[in-house]
Amino acid sequence: MSPRRAGACFAAAAAVALALVGAASAAADDVSVIVHQSRIDTRLGENIVFRAEFANHGSTATGALIAHLNVLSLRQGVEVDPEDWSTHRTRYLGTIAPGATRTITWKVHAINKGRIALYVAVLPQAGDNRPPAIGRTVQLVVAGRDTLNAGGILPLALGVPALLGLITGGMQFARRRR
Amino acid sequence: MEAAVQALPKRRTQGWAVVAEQELRDLWLGGRGLLLGLGFSVLLSIIAYLTATNQALNFLEQRESVNVTLQVAIAVGSLLALLAAADAISGERERSTLESLLLAPVSRLDLTGGKLAAALSLWLAAFVITIPYVWFLGRGVDLVGDALLVGFFVGTLLAVFLASLGIVISVFASSNRVSLSLSLFLLLAVFTPTQLPSSAQKGWAGEFLLRVNPLTAGEHYVGKIIVNGHSWSEDASWLISPIVAAPTFLALAGFVGARYIRLGRRAAE
Repeated sequence: MSPRRAGACFAAAAAVALALVGAASAAADDVSVIVHQSRIDTRLGENIVFRAEFANHGSTATGALIAHLNVLSLRQGVEVDPEDWSTHRTRYLGTIAPGATRTITWKVHAINKGRIALYVAVLPQAGDNRPPAIGRTVQLVVAGRDTLNAGGILPLALGVPALLGLITGGMQFARRRR
Repeated sequence: MEAAVQALPKRRTQGWAVVAEQELRDLWLGGRGLLLGLGFSVLLSIIAYLTATNQALNFLEQRESVNVTLQVAIAVGSLLALLAAADAISGERERSTLESLLLAPVSRLDLTGGKLAAALSLWLAAFVITIPYVWFLGRGVDLVGDALLVGFFVGTLLAVFLASLGIVISVFASSNRVSLSLSLFLLLAVFTPTQLPSSAQKGWAGEFLLRVNPLTAGEHYVGKIIVNGHSWSEDASWLISPIVAAPTFLALAGFVGARYIRLGRRAAE
């Protein structure tokens, strides 16, 4: 066997081994994250509900699971603080019986305008090193809007202090004259 | 005797009113109250302008912007009442005018009541100044009436609590500087829970801290009515500490004022 051929065989064997390990860990998990939405359109400042289903396809109950919602901007330069978007992002699911599903909803507050990605990862609470199961990415498109009518604020913001300033000045002036 | 007993409450009311009138004159015609009101209006103008025009803050719903403005108005209005009350007795003592005040034919309880009423007038003025801002920010969402009513109710409870606390401190403080410093320190202490991260405010200990503190409980209640649109009774349990604190500290201020006002600096002795 030539060295090149031996290398190719070794690479193939390694790939098969890796695939088998992956299949074994997936079989151990047998949990999938199902997200029905692929895109949500909303407006700045509004709340949306993000829903994910966690299904156990295995024949035994899962261990205790944790689901975590992630929020990130798809546009570079837009800073997203996930805490602002959703306050209870980590949920402790407990165990899921074989063939059962569990649905979790997150309330998400649209803080920035732009294209935002939401996705959920679920991992065992035991903390072993298997990769988490991840649901599909949902694109949240947040349109900008002005929620407040700024027209007329300037006269009010200047007018009230000016009026009080005039009264104060007038009182001081009258007192000095007296 | 019977006539004397009947006349006593009348005389007490008059004494209280006379002191209050004199204090109000000093505060408002002397210009100090107006200057404080001017500063307060500048602060509210900045907040109202920012919430209405700043792009970074513009995601705020109208309800939230009304809530922010009203909560600042309640907090700062109560602070003004506290500062005026903290100066009430210790300030007179330091200016050497307490002796002539104590010689006036009014009881010390009347004296305390009149001083307290004058201090509370600053909260009332602050509330009147707040009305146009709340009207502007809350118009169009049918919110102005509820916001003003709940703001006045909760703000008055908190102002009575803080002004009474200020009077108690002022009676015992050895100097005006001590009285004002201690009052400000206590005010910051009761505001501290609002600065805790949201995770620290959750759980039974966090909620207990928020509920037991009249300031945080009152502001939480205002937020629930304005932002979440709850009915007045839905979160009424949050009002327990402001409703308990206001009359308790009012009675304490009356008791301390009637018994412990002394000319000397070491009032408690």
